[in-house]
Amino acid sequence: MKQAIVASVLAVAVAAAGVVLIAGPPAGAQGGGSISGEVKLAGAAPAPKVVKVNKDNEVCGQEKKIAEVAVGAGGGLSNALVAVTDAKGAKPAKPAVLDQKGCEFHPNVVVMAPGELKILNSDGVLHNIHTFSTANPPVNKAQPKFKKEMVEKFEKPELIKVQCDAHSWMLGWIYVTENPTAVTDGNGAFKLENVPPGKHKVEVVHPVLGKQAKEVEVKAGQDTKVAFELKK
Amino acid sequence: MPAPRGKFIQAVLVLIAAALLFRYGIRPPMPFSVFSLYMAVTLMAVLVYVSSDSDSWRAFVAPIWATLTEPGRRPLRLALGVAIPLLIGYYAYSQAAARAEAPLELRAVHPAPPDTISFRGKEINLQHADTPVRKDIKQNPANRDKHLAAGAAIYIRNCMYCHGDLLDGQGHFAHGFNPQPADFVGPNTIAQLSEGFVFWRIAKGGPGLPKESTPWNSAMPAWEDRLTEEQIWQVIYYLYETTGHPPRVMESHAAGPSAPGLAAGVLAPGALALGPRPAAAQSGDVALGKQVYELRCAGCHGASGKGDGPAAELLVPRPRDFTAGKYKIRTVAGPLASDQDLLRIVTEGMPGTSMPAWRSLPEKERSAVVAYIKTFAESYKGAKLEAVAVPKEVASSEASLRRGKKMFDAFECVKCHGQAGRGDPAPGSDLKDDWGQPIRPANLHHPWTFRGGSERKDVVMRLLTGVAGTPMPAIADSVEDYRKSDEKDADVREASLWDLANYVRSLGPERLNWASLLSIPPATGAVPSDPNAESWTKRPGAVLPLVGQVIIDPRNFNPTVDMLTVRAVYTEQEAVFHLTWDDPTASDPTKGAPKPDMVAVQLPTGPGTGDRPYFLMGDGSHPVYLLTWRAGAEVGEATAAGVGKMTPQAGEAVQAKGQVAYDAGQYRAVIRRPLKTADAPDFVFRPGEFFPVAFWVWDGSDGDDGPKAAVSTWYYARLEPPPSKRQFVMPPILALVAGAAELGLARWARRRREAA
Repeated sequence: MKQAIVASVLAVAVAAAGVVLIAGPPAGAQGGGSISGEVKLAGAAPAPKVVKVNKDNEVCGQEKKIAEVAVGAGGGLSNALVAVTDAKGAKPAKPAVLDQKGCEFHPNVVVMAPGELKILNSDGVLHNIHTFSTANPPVNKAQPKFKKEMVEKFEKPELIKVQCDAHSWMLGWIYVTENPTAVTDGNGAFKLENVPPGKHKVEVVHPVLGKQAKEVEVKAGQDTKVAFELKK
Repeated sequence: MPAPRGKFIQAVLVLIAAALLFRYGIRPPMPFSVFSLYMAVTLMAVLVYVSSDSDSWRAFVAPIWATLTEPGRRPLRLALGVAIPLLIGYYAYSQAAARAEAPLELRAVHPAPPDTISFRGKEINLQHADTPVRKDIKQNPANRDKHLAAGAAIYIRNCMYCHGDLLDGQGHFAHGFNPQPADFVGPNTIAQLSEGFVFWRIAKGGPGLPKESTPWNSAMPAWEDRLTEEQIWQVIYYLYETTGHPPRVMESHAAGPSAPGLAAGVLAPGALALGPRPAAAQSGDVALGKQVYELRCAGCHGASGKGDGPAAELLVPRPRDFTAGKYKIRTVAGPLASDQDLLRIVTEGMPGTSMPAWRSLPEKERSAVVAYIKTFAESYKGAKLEAVAVPKEVASSEASLRRGKKMFDAFECVKCHGQAGRGDPAPGSDLKDDWGQPIRPANLHHPWTFRGGSERKDVVMRLLTGVAGTPMPAIADSVEDYRKSDEKDADVREASLWDLANYVRSLGPERLNWASLLSIPPATGAVPSDPNAESWTKRPGAVLPLVGQVIIDPRNFNPTVDMLTVRAVYTEQEAVFHLTWDDPTASDPTKGAPKPDMVAVQLPTGPGTGDRPYFLMGDGSHPVYLLTWRAGAEVGEATAAGVGKMTPQAGEAVQAKGQVAYDAGQYRAVIRRPLKTADAPDFVFRPGEFFPVAFWVWDGSDGDDGPKAAVSTWYYARLEPPPSKRQFVMPPILALVAGAAELGLARWARRRREAA
């Protein structure tokens, strides 16, 4: 259990790199199975928009690629959220973390249980956390270079767009949920572990492409494969 | 001899009391000419009273006589002998040195209307009692709402910017015009006019005024080019119904009552009208609020509160979408505004936007509308609003401004507000509000456009709470971190948001005084072409308001440039204009911008002695002459026969020269031209004579081009004659004459006494 939590915190910090397990199963759910699979985009991927960086170049670089729909080599869709919507995740011991680094949000999609989100500014330039929440109160707070860390509360389940007005290309998502949720990696792969045996509803949510749900049967100690395909 | 002295003192006291009463007791204050008239009448009355019989007269004159003759009063005599000539001398000096005022223009205010006019080739009789719209409503009362709604929509889209939401002539461009736009609510305009007269004025506008009503700067356009006959009758119907004034009717028609039974307050809910006040309050605030809202707010904010009324697409910034529950101006934490916050904006309006001040509504209606507005946002249900804690006030001082400047830099306010605070962010910044609409950061040098007010406490509150729905973040949470960021620097350790607010407020002027006249003095010494030369920047400037050109399409409902500072001088050879205006982006097509920034000085053609052209670049029969500059090109000259019909001069005809500089969100331009040129259309500058001048500014990056521009109305300008020596010659002469007269009077009085 402890390992799982450590793993999940680590995973959040390096979310882009691979399969992410955010929250484990309810305590004592031994003998659970796992769900893994792939989320694909039907059709060709749109070309990412390239934006010339016009300020803070020493930190932000010279150009940024904006891909609201990011697709890997085999047509796998990254940054999609896969959740078991009829199970509850364990309460995390530490708040989720959203970092602003190189004038990008890391991870691009942060999954958090209702509660606190730790927001870091690793850049040393002014950012502002501007959320477009509706269930939760919207936030627009400056995070100047000398404010390395701040904490915001998001109490209600919601997929929230977050942007920085100082750097117009910066776009991220905060997914507040009580369900066990994984984020697909660069190739669209995901894995949800320690899911209690039985029939479950698994839903994939993409910030731009919308939702899709499937019924999945999980057997103890076994991995169940499921595949999704989202359309533009 | 108490009685005689009493008489004189009584008279003086009466005069002083009258002067105080006339000066301070009567509101609004009367002009000086009226004041002096009243004082003269009072003086006459006092003299008549004291000279009513010879005893009284003697009693009145006795103290004067005594002062003139009695040896014991010699010191007083001497003092008066010095003081009175000095006063006369000073008065003469102040009169001779007085600044020039614009010449008086006499005109007929409500000229006799013609019986018929030609409207797009059709003859229209203006004498009929019933307009086509009223006739239609008489025959079919159900059509009333349709006509009223159409009239309201026409008004909102065409008339509101100048004549105002309240129809009181106080629209948000009204300050840019002289005379001010007509106030329809008061008793002086439509209340004493027939609908035919109003039709004539709308159809033909300022250019269609008869000779006896000119010269006049009326900015009223001839709407016959843009509105149909029915649309004009509809908007007239809307004007009368909304103000509650009955139209004047020709006597021969007066017997027939006009539109009976259509009392104010029976507008259907949802009608697109900023209509008359509801007749009776309904039970409950929200119900009354709904009624007020639908009559007055829905035109912009939409019937469902989404900020999508018929005027919305023309407004920048867009009207608030109440369903989002995000309010710009708040004194509470979170995106919702308190009742007081909302009431304040309803009452005082929002500077720099189209939101007017509704303080003319009773407080009950304003509070009710606040209660109703809150029902649009789900998030108000059960919301607990917490007032933001305001830090202890810090007065503005040199030290506070220094601390504030350090905060301005450390918090990187420059990222949006620009290096100099003029709202000039890095090129390519594209700030958007939460609804995806482009939004401009505030120009901190123009505090009168601050949405939530320009007092220091207002600025502190904006810094604390941010401006929800816009990119402006709240910085309250970062101040403590800032103080700890450099423990060695006392300016950082002791910083307060008040310091930052003090600094922000110090960028703009304390008060803004619009000029009414452009005085162009003769230059002393060489006149530099460098716009940044000190001899220019240190010279006081005339600040003129610019407004959007909202008459001819494409219109400019929210110009980037809202004022222009003009400095001008002349020499024996040339007239030189120095213009300063703020523009957050420099757009130069030779450097890749799609449209250029431009400026123009508009003058009459030739000697400028004919009819004054319409202020929007005249028309075919009254062209104008322009001194122009566009980014990426040289200063030039042009003539125009209406907006968008500009013909640049070329080759040797162009004698205007100049230089333009851009830095940190501000343009400075020097444009110079010989007083007289060989070209017939070129305006001839003649020292000592008043001439009309107007100004145009285009912001290329905002899409300005042709008619889409910011413009001023006509102003009077004059090349001031060299200061006359008279003001130093006449006063001493007058003082000497007065002294001699006094001396003579005293001597004569003494001799008479000795003779007696």
